[in-house]
Amino acid sequence: MIYALAVHGAPYASDAAEHALGFANALLEKGHVIERVFFFHDGVYQGLNGLVAPQTRFNVDLKKRWRTLSDHGTELAVCIASGIKRGVVDNSEQDRYSLPSTTLSQDFALVGLGQLIAAIESADRYVEFSA
Amino acid sequence: MKRYLFVISKAPYASSHALEQLEAAMVAAAFDGQVSLLLRGDGVWGLQKDQEGDAIEQRTFAKTLAALPSYEIERLHACSASISERGVDIDCTLHFESVDYTSQQALLNANDIVIGGQ
Repeated sequence: MIYALAVHGAPYASDAAEHALGFANALLEKGHVIERVFFFHDGVYQGLNGLVAPQTRFNVDLKKRWRTLSDHGTELAVCIASGIKRGVVDNSEQDRYSLPSTTLSQDFALVGLGQLIAAIESADRYVEFSA
Repeated sequence: MKRYLFVISKAPYASSHALEQLEAAMVAAAFDGQVSLLLRGDGVWGLQKDQEGDAIEQRTFAKTLAALPSYEIERLHACSASISERGVDIDCTLHFESVDYTSQQALLNANDIVIGGQ
């Protein structure tokens, strides 16, 4: 089956990412396809390029785990509207708003909300991980 | 197109959650999806009358709700228990359907996709 996932919680503040990644890995093991993970609301912080895993969570390096999922062909899509107002910006948004640096990890892409709907439309299942 | 139900269960003006949910609903409607909205929990505070977003430099949430039909979102529902528990004084210019738990169950069943369901 083709899945579309969404993550609404911030890294290490919410457990949304851990639950989503655990679910995603289980799906891949069973041979399902995850076309896109969409990061919405505070979930956009998952795409920051400067995340450091806290020492209390040493075995849950989210940045590394998202990269592994991306390497498996899943698109990591950050909502641009939710993202830029929280300071999650790629090169072109950095230029557009004259910001000091890019903050979006290379494993993620800034996309419009339409991409959430497009992913859901082409998927068999949509599963959301709230904050 | 699938049928979408967007759920707002957090209060407006407390976080950006309610407004971002509305933005997503508008995008789904722009894709010609059938979009319904359900306010429940603290989300029903969005129906409170005499909101003045201007006072805190925000858009008035009730005005955005009132504008939904112009975005092709005709179906606004609100949990009747959530409204009465909180004693929300309803803005009577808003058009919505008050729904009990049984009707909410039917609403969930009638849609393919629930966004913000928690």
